[in-house]
Amino acid sequence: MLNSFTKIFNKSLNLPCTPLKLARNFATPTRFYKNTSILKSEGKYEITLDQRKLKTPNGTPFYVENEPLALAVASEWNAQKNKIIQSKMHITTLCNTVLDNPNKLTKLDIVNYIVNYLDTDTILYQANEDEDLMKFQMAEWDPVIEWFNKRFNVKLKKSIQMDVSPISEEDKTIITKHLMSHNFATVNGFMYGVDTLKSVILTLAATEKFLTPEKAVLLSRLEEEYQSGRWGRVEWAHDLNQLELQTRFSSVILFVYYNSQSYMVREKNILG
Amino acid sequence: MAKLATLRGLIQELRYAVPNATLKDNLAFQYIMKQYRKYNTTDQQLCKAQEEMNYIANTYLCYLRSSRLSQEIHDEFHGKGERTVQETAQMVGFKLPHDPK
Repeated sequence: MLNSFTKIFNKSLNLPCTPLKLARNFATPTRFYKNTSILKSEGKYEITLDQRKLKTPNGTPFYVENEPLALAVASEWNAQKNKIIQSKMHITTLCNTVLDNPNKLTKLDIVNYIVNYLDTDTILYQANEDEDLMKFQMAEWDPVIEWFNKRFNVKLKKSIQMDVSPISEEDKTIITKHLMSHNFATVNGFMYGVDTLKSVILTLAATEKFLTPEKAVLLSRLEEEYQSGRWGRVEWAHDLNQLELQTRFSSVILFVYYNSQSYMVREKNILG
Repeated sequence: MAKLATLRGLIQELRYAVPNATLKDNLAFQYIMKQYRKYNTTDQQLCKAQEEMNYIANTYLCYLRSSRLSQEIHDEFHGKGERTVQETAQMVGFKLPHDPK
């Protein structure tokens, strides 16, 4: 049946008669190295898999600018068992995205994307159909909004009716300014975090250490948590979702922290 | 105490992640221990470095633990294709005609 279909299909396109390939084979390479290590050269850290140097998907040499990040990437590669599953290596992915920049985005593009995301920030829209849920949202989300307003000196207001846009132009300018003061890699990290949690406020609250990554993820899926407390929890849906979000988001925190660290931590000279 | 628990957790997760059992030569392990020793001694630091390190250590622990657990759930529930006739028969407690009784 399939073959005859292929014949007809190919004939209509004047193609030689070969079976139509339906399934694409996604290759997962097997682990080909024993040890992973890092190399320091000219202030940059590279990753080695045995003797080979790690490269980005575009084929350029992979490097990061500080040791702990390089070690985290090396550990990720070392943690692969038989197959190399790249989709689960979030820190490597973030570094690759910054190095290759596959979508050719500028820092301003990303900052605009994040600031516009504020208009639809998860924690600014609270449900008013369910009173219990509403209580939870007020207890958990309101302090974070309050913190955000104080920290950035803005006036975001939550919305219950979905009627007004809670962000004014002045506030957007303030947040844009703040985000533009970070480097390209950090802003990329913010974007990944925002896409994970669907909330700019929670992402910034966690990168400023107001929330732990676990707590930020919990707050972003507050309604899911509330509903599953009522209707039951399924391991392969709720737990998996929570753990995957936690993995993604904690990788963002680490990435942002180590990319903006150089001017945040000053070491004390012990000898002096 | 909470800090010690974090460190223990980190070491435990590294053990899970690293294929060969010895952590002694593991660079990440050496780095973590070095950081812990360093921030243990600098009590004169004016900035919040120690607190900050604790936050980052907890974040890394969260990263390692969550990725391991999510992989475990994935492995347990992810479909492995169609079952064979024999496996299906076994599931419902039947035997195939040519199996011994």
